[in-house]
Amino acid sequence: MRRSFQWSLIACALLALTLGVAACGGDDGGGDEPGTTQGTPAEGKQGGRLVSLWAGDVDHIDPGITYSDLGQQITRATQKTLYRPKVDDATVVEPDLAESDPEISEDGCRVTVKLKDGVRFSPPVDREVTSRDVKYAIERGFFNSVNSGYAGAYFGTLPGAKVGAEPGTKIPGIQTPDDLTVVFNMEPAEGEDRCPGGVLAGALVMPLSAPVPPEYAREFDAGNISTYGQNQVSTGPYMVENNESGEAIGYQAGRRIHLVRNPNWDETLDTRPAYLDEIDIQQGNDDATVMSRKILEGESMINGDQSPPPPILKQALTRQKEQLALVPSGGGRWVAMNTTIEPFDDVNVRKAVVAGFDREAMRLTRGGEVIGRIPTHFIPPGLLGFEEAGGMEGFGLDFMSAPGGDMELAAEYFQKAGYDNGKYEGTEELLMVGENEGVDARAAEVAAQQFEKLGFRVRLRQVTGDAMYTKYCNVPAAKVAICPNVGWLKDFADPQTFLDPTFNGDNIIPTNNSNWAQLDVPELNRQMNEAKLLTDTDERAEAWAEIDRRITELAPAVMWIWDNQANIRSENVVGVIDEDNGHWSFAHTSLG
Amino acid sequence: MAAYIVRRLIWVFFLLFVVTLITFIVFNVLPAADPALLRAGRQPSPELVESIREQFGLDDPLIVQFFRYIGDILPFVGGDGFNFGFSYQSNQEVLPQILDRLPATIFLTTGAVILWLSIGIPIGMVSAVKTGSWLDRLTMGIALIAISAPVYFLGLVALFLFDDSIGRFPLLPGSGAYQDATTFFGKAAALIMPWCVLSAAFAAIYARFLRGNLIDTMQEDYIRTARAKGLSERRVIFRHGVRSAITPIVTLLGLDIGILLGGAILTETVFNIQGIGRFAYEAIVRFDLPVIQGTVLFGAFFIVIMSLIVDILYAFIDPRIRY
Repeated sequence: MRRSFQWSLIACALLALTLGVAACGGDDGGGDEPGTTQGTPAEGKQGGRLVSLWAGDVDHIDPGITYSDLGQQITRATQKTLYRPKVDDATVVEPDLAESDPEISEDGCRVTVKLKDGVRFSPPVDREVTSRDVKYAIERGFFNSVNSGYAGAYFGTLPGAKVGAEPGTKIPGIQTPDDLTVVFNMEPAEGEDRCPGGVLAGALVMPLSAPVPPEYAREFDAGNISTYGQNQVSTGPYMVENNESGEAIGYQAGRRIHLVRNPNWDETLDTRPAYLDEIDIQQGNDDATVMSRKILEGESMINGDQSPPPPILKQALTRQKEQLALVPSGGGRWVAMNTTIEPFDDVNVRKAVVAGFDREAMRLTRGGEVIGRIPTHFIPPGLLGFEEAGGMEGFGLDFMSAPGGDMELAAEYFQKAGYDNGKYEGTEELLMVGENEGVDARAAEVAAQQFEKLGFRVRLRQVTGDAMYTKYCNVPAAKVAICPNVGWLKDFADPQTFLDPTFNGDNIIPTNNSNWAQLDVPELNRQMNEAKLLTDTDERAEAWAEIDRRITELAPAVMWIWDNQANIRSENVVGVIDEDNGHWSFAHTSLG
Repeated sequence: MAAYIVRRLIWVFFLLFVVTLITFIVFNVLPAADPALLRAGRQPSPELVESIREQFGLDDPLIVQFFRYIGDILPFVGGDGFNFGFSYQSNQEVLPQILDRLPATIFLTTGAVILWLSIGIPIGMVSAVKTGSWLDRLTMGIALIAISAPVYFLGLVALFLFDDSIGRFPLLPGSGAYQDATTFFGKAAALIMPWCVLSAAFAAIYARFLRGNLIDTMQEDYIRTARAKGLSERRVIFRHGVRSAITPIVTLLGLDIGILLGGAILTETVFNIQGIGRFAYEAIVRFDLPVIQGTVLFGAFFIVIMSLIVDILYAFIDPRIRY
């Protein structure tokens, strides 16, 4: 596990942030965006059926496995996790299944959570939730029939927790002294005197903390591949429609997810208004134009896993502003240059590329100005450290200052790198691997043109998004020179979650590597590792802003957008965006 | 005849085995996404990836994986049962998902076949009989356009013109309507546009094909003889001309039906019809190998079975053929 002790300190700081002790999240700017008209959680009419149009399926229907924003969109309607980010302010976390904030011991080795009394499982289980259900939910994340993608990262420090465990394996580090108390006990790592209780407490917002009844789920988890997802029970206001035996007949893989009211949900134990009677997620809407027009011109519909394409977005901005919600995503996109491959091992070549690159052209592939700002540095708006890094103006670095590209400046940097004619003069062919579909494919093509404009010979190979990551860009041994379709989204509103996985040389791994530029500067790595230990918010902001400056100066990538998430709804939908994941919240949205 | 059918059935099994083997090799040798990494999420630990490999049996040698899959198709070989394996994406058995989607594909195919035969054959006959007339030129011109227009283009144009929610002339149920419909007639109404789009190119091909065959046939000696015997022109055309000219059409039709039953990917995708074609498309996009194998095998099954049926039908249509 790459998570370390430092995470506990960061998480403590984050927890303080999120539990409302400190409110230092940046202005997300969402309210000022044209067309942003999210409803407020307090307004809405009861009843109705909302249709959400998706292209594909959710990554996994099992709350213990899902690890995507859309999976979270569903579990935030169907489950009560221990804690939940506030729908209109993601920097604040509120208790959900928990009764109050978690108690974290001073050394971070013990986290105690008290549960609400009276929360019930949906049919066919129909009984009250106890602490043993929370314990089992987290234990099953480690089962080799479940294999949660993040259980090891956040709960792996609990004694007895082992990824790939046999179904039924207990974790002694989770204790349940009574029906309504869960205690997470950890031991300090060798040479340490503290435990990462902070990050564990922070992770209690994740779907894995939603209770699972062991006596019911055990048989589904016992096989080689768990089928609990297709037989799940709920504790939230909605549930996947099921039959008497509990089979989730409302989940038809790749076709439909039908959520209906959970008859056992008690609104007095929840802050979600849950106006709608049912939510129908209809999949297979591959054509984004058709999907968008159906939503904008139809009734009671919202988008799901795809945003409107650029032409529809422009049209919506002029004609249907009220039906469009642009939400800062807390992330950005860049064209990564592999700093271990010639000529990108020369910082002046990289600066020349950034200087001469037409980032406006890249942004146009996604819809232009409306879809996000052209960055001046790496930390995106809405994250701690953004203002300290110069805000929208950035650090004033010349090669980052011309969004449309400055060929004269690029020529100067090329000359510094030894290319006298002001363009790259090498004859080798550089491998660029990009996506082969939609706006990303167009962005890859534009990026290839930009490199060719600067004198490079590029061989663009376009593959599916999954293949691009798992076979090429995430694999250093694949020796891809340029990855034009990469980007990162925050985990929390902290710059560490943005910069550390993507530019810390200590995080370069043989597979699933997300430091695409393979930037490995010992001094920079040390700076980041030190910054992880800081707990004071101002100090963290300053430190990470300084790291941001250093990374920007090293020009490992052409950072071309801090993007917005574009969501659309039908005119009669009073939509509420869940600011934490940037999608409509089913449990807060209503029909007008 | 019985011996011939038995021989062909043995070939069917052999062909399906070869198709399965080729699909397996293609998706394991060509560069594509790693299913374990896709399933693991972002930044997974090596332990997690290893556990997922074990869970799906991806750590076994390829030969073991292949024969395990064969076991999932032929239960007595020793797999997890007759289920075509488990989807990496949904953790569900593949066969029930294919069977669940089969009615939509059958309905789409059946309607489209009826439509394109109803349009294509009369047009082909009229064109052949009236060769060189303005009617011949007009219909063959339209046929050329229909052949040239790809289904996804024609489908989108149809949606933007006639879809009852987004069309300029909102006349027909459009994208996603099949899924919403609950009755037989509702589903049939939802398929009117897909039927028209899918059958357009086929009708054009069949019309041109039949026209060419019929023109050749009408110049045969036995047609001249039939006319000399004083048979009416109608009888000559239908009884002697069309019956002979239509024989190759049966071959074509059998294979086309087989291909479409394996999934009309473009039509199902454009109109969001949850059939086998769409299922295959989703699986390819997500590199869900068990589903890809299942849908390819299913498609191959329909093609070889339809081919067998056509060959048997030949014996009845063409008296010269004996098995």
